[in-house]
Amino acid sequence: MLSYIVRRLLFLPVVLFGVTVLIFALVSTLGPWMRVATFVPSPDAERHVDLEAIIRKYNLDDPPLKMYLRWVNNLLRGNLGWSQSSHMTVTEAIGRRFPATLELTLFAVIPVILGGIFLGVISAVHHNKPIDHATRVMAITLWSMPDFVLGLAVLMVGFGVLGWFPPGRLSAWAELEILKTSFRSFTGMHTIDALLNLRFDILWDALRHIFAPVFTLACLWWAFMLRITRSSMLDVLNQDYVRTARAKGLDEKTVIRKHALGNALIPVTTVASSMLLGLLGGVVIVETVFNYPGLGLLTSTAATRLDVPCVVGVALFYAVILVVVNLVVDVMYSIIDPRVRLE
Amino acid sequence: MNILRRLVKNRISLLGLILLLFFVVVAIAAPWLAPPPKGSDPYRIPRRGWTLEPTPPSAKYPLGLTQGQYDIYYGLVWGTRTAFRVGIIVIVFRALIGIILGSIAAYYGGLWDEILMRFTDIFMSFPYLIGVVVFVSIFGPGLNNVMIPLIALGWMPYARMIRGNILAVKQEEYVLAARAIGVSDFKIITRHILPNSIFPVLIQASMQIGSIVISVSALSFLGLGAPEGYADWGQMLSFARNWMLGDQGNVLKYWFTVVYPGLAMVLFVLSWNLIGDAFRDIMDPRIQA
Repeated sequence: MLSYIVRRLLFLPVVLFGVTVLIFALVSTLGPWMRVATFVPSPDAERHVDLEAIIRKYNLDDPPLKMYLRWVNNLLRGNLGWSQSSHMTVTEAIGRRFPATLELTLFAVIPVILGGIFLGVISAVHHNKPIDHATRVMAITLWSMPDFVLGLAVLMVGFGVLGWFPPGRLSAWAELEILKTSFRSFTGMHTIDALLNLRFDILWDALRHIFAPVFTLACLWWAFMLRITRSSMLDVLNQDYVRTARAKGLDEKTVIRKHALGNALIPVTTVASSMLLGLLGGVVIVETVFNYPGLGLLTSTAATRLDVPCVVGVALFYAVILVVVNLVVDVMYSIIDPRVRLE
Repeated sequence: MNILRRLVKNRISLLGLILLLFFVVVAIAAPWLAPPPKGSDPYRIPRRGWTLEPTPPSAKYPLGLTQGQYDIYYGLVWGTRTAFRVGIIVIVFRALIGIILGSIAAYYGGLWDEILMRFTDIFMSFPYLIGVVVFVSIFGPGLNNVMIPLIALGWMPYARMIRGNILAVKQEEYVLAARAIGVSDFKIITRHILPNSIFPVLIQASMQIGSIVISVSALSFLGLGAPEGYADWGQMLSFARNWMLGDQGNVLKYWFTVVYPGLAMVLFVLSWNLIGDAFRDIMDPRIQA
């Protein structure tokens, strides 16, 4: 177990090395003028200077290996370059936007997991009956929706018709309240900060804004959760110990809740992690649709304005998260399920 | 054949098969369903005017004209071909890369296995959609530039799957026998091992065509996909983006700009997912019929 963790940790730098090489190879195909931005710490440095001078100043005609080492050196010191689309350094932009995305993802995970498990159990218990077919077709239909179409539809009904769920992250007045010195920012996640500051009006406003994107994400991911729970539940319901429980005369509710569900949920935990990562990466579209200022919106804005340093920075950031979360989940899985032995 | 019979017998997957057949017919019959104007590229949607505001459906243009007066009916018919083409190309190359790397890793094992699987891990640590965005923002938008990263960031599951399958058949007697009589490695892999392990991977791969079409359209929505006027469902939906909230007092004024392209795309993806869902049930050894 311990040796497994150590081996995975030792492998972490190898993965990051591979990822940086890939990204560097992609960026190297750009002309020197576009590459300048990855090295320049602020925009003032590149104004009023001609191309040749910048290339000479930052040694952009060096051999690739030298340039790669210098770039990695910058990365390690947290310097990801200047993002022209958000007018700040990439590190600062990521730092500001990440809490928003994290908040959105955490809010979305709860309904997705609970709703997905609920639907999956219903589907399995009524295997091949009309209610099974109905839940599955509904979930697959939602899963077949392009995220932006569903998002736009939710926006159209929730904001356009009903006027309940506005786009963005906070209303203008709440935005101002948050900037005041009396409001202390703990996490950068507005709902939690508002709660800690006992500002329930701001909490309510933040919840109203976050509802529509969370609802959209939940609809998209229910099918995924349902599928895993259903298949795992069907497996468990065929096991001998469930048959025994039924044979000794327990009512169906107790059989399902006490005997089947716990064991059926073990595989669900692994999937939940890949879903969490899928959610974190998948928010690009949903954030763009709802104009929710997280990492996803940052990426899509940067990409359409050809702000390469920013896109590259976000990709690196996500790669690190991905590797670490996967490691944590693998270890956790072995703790939850004693049958799993990591080697 | 047994699998096909079970797919037809299951009502859910039968619905999927019928939908899919419908799209295949539309794609093949495109030149007759929506004849392109003489002398122009059939994949360019003809414009029926120059105003920006969409025109509602009429007898002449049954599904209406979207932003910039692009003909929605024409775009949907020819967009079916684009959807199949993009989906099939991406899947074929993903499967090809996955099969080659997966079989080398599994057959030779040892150091090769370790290197190739770590290589796979590195590609798996790339955030999928953001990785595609990185590529497109560097090489510029366009359908080809979207397909390349979708291939490069999507082959890993197939490599893993084929590796597992080959590891399972590698020690079978017919493989050992072939090796004993001196058949070359290449022949053993292509003639003896792959035919016995490739089938489930190919099916799984083809079921992804639906989700690929979604990914491509998502990039078109962000303005990173096909050039303007190209017959592509995603782009037709991104046209609708500016008209979703309708007009003052009439939210649903431009419903046709989103409903028709949206319906085409959802039904297309749905047909693949319905078949794929039933198929996974059939392949899942833990679910008894």
